[in-house]
Amino acid sequence: MAGLRRLLAKLVDLLRPGRAEADLSRELASHLALLEDELLRRGLPAEQARRAARLSLGGVEQVKELHRDERSFVWLDDARRDLRHAVRLLRRDPLFALTAVLSLAIGIGANTTIFSVANALLFRAPAGVADPARLVDIGVGRQGVGFNPGSYPNYLDVRQRATTLDSVYASEMFGAPLGMGSAGNDGRGEVVSSRLVTANYFTVLGAHPAAGRLFAAGDGEQPGAAPVVVLSHRFWKRRFNEDPAIAGRTLRLNGHPFTVAGVAAEGFQGTHVLETDVWLPLGMIAAARPSEASLLANRGSGWLVMGGRLKPDVSVAQAAAELAAIGRALEREFPDQNRGKELRLRESSSIPGASGPVTALLALLMGVVSLVLVIACANVAGVLLARAAARRREIAVRLAIGAGQARLVRQLLTETAVLCGVGGLAGLLLARGLTSLLVSLLPRLPFPIDVSLGLDGRVILFTTGLSLVAALLCGLVPARQASQADVVSTLKDDSPGASGRSRLRNAFVVAQVAFSLVLVVATGLFVRALRRAGSTDPGFDPRGVELVSVDPSAAGYGDVTGPLFARELIERVRELPDTESATIARVFPGGFEGIGLGGVTVPGDARASGEAPEWDWNIVEPGYFSTLRIPLVAGRDFGPSDRAGSPPVAIVGEAAARHFWPGENAIGRSLVQFGAGGPASKTATLLVVGVARDVKSSRLVDGLSSSFVYVPLQQRYTSNVMSSMTIAVRTSNGPRMAAEIRRLVASMNPNLPIVTVQTLEDYTALGLVPQHVVASVSGSLGLVGLLLAAIGIYGVTAHGVTRRMREFGIRVALGAKGADILVMVLRQGMSLAGIGCAIGLALAAAVSQVLTGFLFGLPPLDPLAFGGASALFLVTALAACYGPARRAARADPLVALRYE
Amino acid sequence: MGPQHAYGIAARLEQIAEHPFTLNQGTLYPALVRLEQRGWIKGTWQTTENRREAKYYAITKAGARALGEQTERWRRFAGLVDKLLLNESD
Repeated sequence: MAGLRRLLAKLVDLLRPGRAEADLSRELASHLALLEDELLRRGLPAEQARRAARLSLGGVEQVKELHRDERSFVWLDDARRDLRHAVRLLRRDPLFALTAVLSLAIGIGANTTIFSVANALLFRAPAGVADPARLVDIGVGRQGVGFNPGSYPNYLDVRQRATTLDSVYASEMFGAPLGMGSAGNDGRGEVVSSRLVTANYFTVLGAHPAAGRLFAAGDGEQPGAAPVVVLSHRFWKRRFNEDPAIAGRTLRLNGHPFTVAGVAAEGFQGTHVLETDVWLPLGMIAAARPSEASLLANRGSGWLVMGGRLKPDVSVAQAAAELAAIGRALEREFPDQNRGKELRLRESSSIPGASGPVTALLALLMGVVSLVLVIACANVAGVLLARAAARRREIAVRLAIGAGQARLVRQLLTETAVLCGVGGLAGLLLARGLTSLLVSLLPRLPFPIDVSLGLDGRVILFTTGLSLVAALLCGLVPARQASQADVVSTLKDDSPGASGRSRLRNAFVVAQVAFSLVLVVATGLFVRALRRAGSTDPGFDPRGVELVSVDPSAAGYGDVTGPLFARELIERVRELPDTESATIARVFPGGFEGIGLGGVTVPGDARASGEAPEWDWNIVEPGYFSTLRIPLVAGRDFGPSDRAGSPPVAIVGEAAARHFWPGENAIGRSLVQFGAGGPASKTATLLVVGVARDVKSSRLVDGLSSSFVYVPLQQRYTSNVMSSMTIAVRTSNGPRMAAEIRRLVASMNPNLPIVTVQTLEDYTALGLVPQHVVASVSGSLGLVGLLLAAIGIYGVTAHGVTRRMREFGIRVALGAKGADILVMVLRQGMSLAGIGCAIGLALAAAVSQVLTGFLFGLPPLDPLAFGGASALFLVTALAACYGPARRAARADPLVALRYE
Repeated sequence: MGPQHAYGIAARLEQIAEHPFTLNQGTLYPALVRLEQRGWIKGTWQTTENRREAKYYAITKAGARALGEQTERWRRFAGLVDKLLLNESD
């Protein structure tokens, strides 16, 4: 108890140091006065009494010092004094403080940014999910690669057969937007993102409701049996203001009434990054999205991610082995639909299947940003060394009058700690800006994602740790160097010495140049790779095309009214003043979705359906090919004559034409379209009227591209297939037309929800996101590194010149010309840059080997990237050295000798 | 003895000691701070009879309790040392 009181008293003293000190002074003064009184009383003269009293009390300052040691934490007191000293020193040299804080802030901020992305994607446990470490994801791969969604019939078999998993759920991989109106008011065309899940989805994840209930076994997968929905907490808050009586209310989704069962717990979004507003039971697919109702029966089409919870004492490897065996059995039993497909099981992650590449990308970025921090630290350390050199005398004096070496190191480290603390704080603020910048670099994704890049405890801990590491990294060496000063020689003479110190400083500059060069080379490589990727012809021209997607089925358009509305809409879009050409299509190349309308073959083809390649279908209005600038190799585009009732026609891709009629003319031939029952279940005979060039669709999911079969919208419009259609407009001089089209759509039908608006370039750019992000991050940071390196070279050269001014004066006096000295100084500065460049090039060559996978076949030792970066650095270094060199060349021998 | 100021304590010690015993102030003041921080004594500024201001230290309840314990411990310790020394000198 008494000990605790003492601790508290010491803390109080720490917070209010002045008070006890004043009290003590007063007490000692009173002591003296009392003693003096006593001596006077004994009969001493006043003068003598005062002296005797002072002598008897002893050293007042010593008493104070002992008192201080007793009443407070000495080391903390010292730390506070060091801190004040450090702040005072830094304020005296604001330029140094500012550049040091700024470079550290950039280094720490960049690291924090990348870490918070990694934190959000890889480390943060999903909210509202019980024991996420025991959850697994199941996907479909081919030959050990890929993690694609699986089909519903396969899911049912997996669920039934898996014994290592407690239970297996399935949810849609991408979900779909739905038009929503509340009961009685179908009107407002609001779009919500929905996801179909199995009834056990919430149970397996161990989720709890915030209101009402979640899905139960009763909300089964029987088609149409359970028209209920579960809302996400965020959606409940946004749309219904957390109405506690929400359970039991009716919502109309795509025109179909659904009862709200309940609301998921706050933050719950399943285990994946995709954001969902409402969850629907899988069995309700026919009501929500009639076009896709057949998915439930189709074993061939993959659209579901499966997941499960490991039984106790079962390892991931055991479960993976069992799933692989189930996959092989399914391939044997249903060879037509499952050929070449295998089941893969992984630990659950927020990006199922993609966590490998995402981790690789983040590791790459993390490498880039730690380089920046190292560069910043080298810069600060270099300047600190220079400052230490300038403070040599001060430190020698301190050592001479008895300061301990450890104490001095601590004081110097406090200075760096202050720098890094402020730098870390600024970095944290910078990171907030940088994260939003990074997010804005991403093209708009076709589905909403739920990634909160907030600065949580883990990020702040990371940044704090990083700042400490930075402080040690850039403070320890200069502090040790400074405190090891040789007292006698330093105090005795004023000559420049300490060549060891300037060698160390040179090493820091060389390191800075080398690491910044690596960053700039990496940027160069990525920029070149992006050029290359951009220059490969995708087969269509995405530049200058705007896409606006609408959901006509949500606004109640049927098989008859739909095509009429589409035709009128596109006619009016074509009348807009900035429209060059316009069309409507079900899908566009380069995105995620393709649609299936069954198989095609030529009449009388006996080959089994399983061997035929799968063709992608698209339903388009006339003008599709001209708007996307896809050349028609033969035949004609669809026209006004291809309407409902006229003979069904099709345009095929070159590869399809070659497949069916190798070496022959495809125009005028017939194609048989058939359904799930194979060629026997013929649904239509199509007359081929045109052949189009194949397009490269860089589909992210499987990376495959295939030939299209195009059919005219006017002939093939059914409301269940056209759950979404996209207007594409090529604008004449590049203005964005989204707002005009929005107004136009609203004026034609205010109930028609606009699902997405984006440019075709954004739509197709998804595949290049990693390269874009790395190029921009390493590019901007490489320039910062270049700047820091330039400052470093300038600093070293300028400092060297100042030190050697006398020498230059003597040289001039002895007959050296200004130009000779200029060259001499330049050569010294440039040799640092040269060594740095050489080391940097070697490092970059090593790093570029790692990057090969991201470079689209660009040789990693690209001469342009390497040569360009070196040239940039050498020119910058020359510019940085030139100023000091000029000053050296103008050395005045008179001044130098007078000083001597 | 009642509340006493630091000078008074020093004077008293000097008086009690049979030899002239000058207490180093470097020992007295830190000791007082230690006791006060433990809450065993409490200092207040008062005026002496000679109209000088001085900080008077009074023993607190906790201090009295602690004094009892410490006295007990000291007696035991001193007694032990006495016994030891007696045995040695035999």
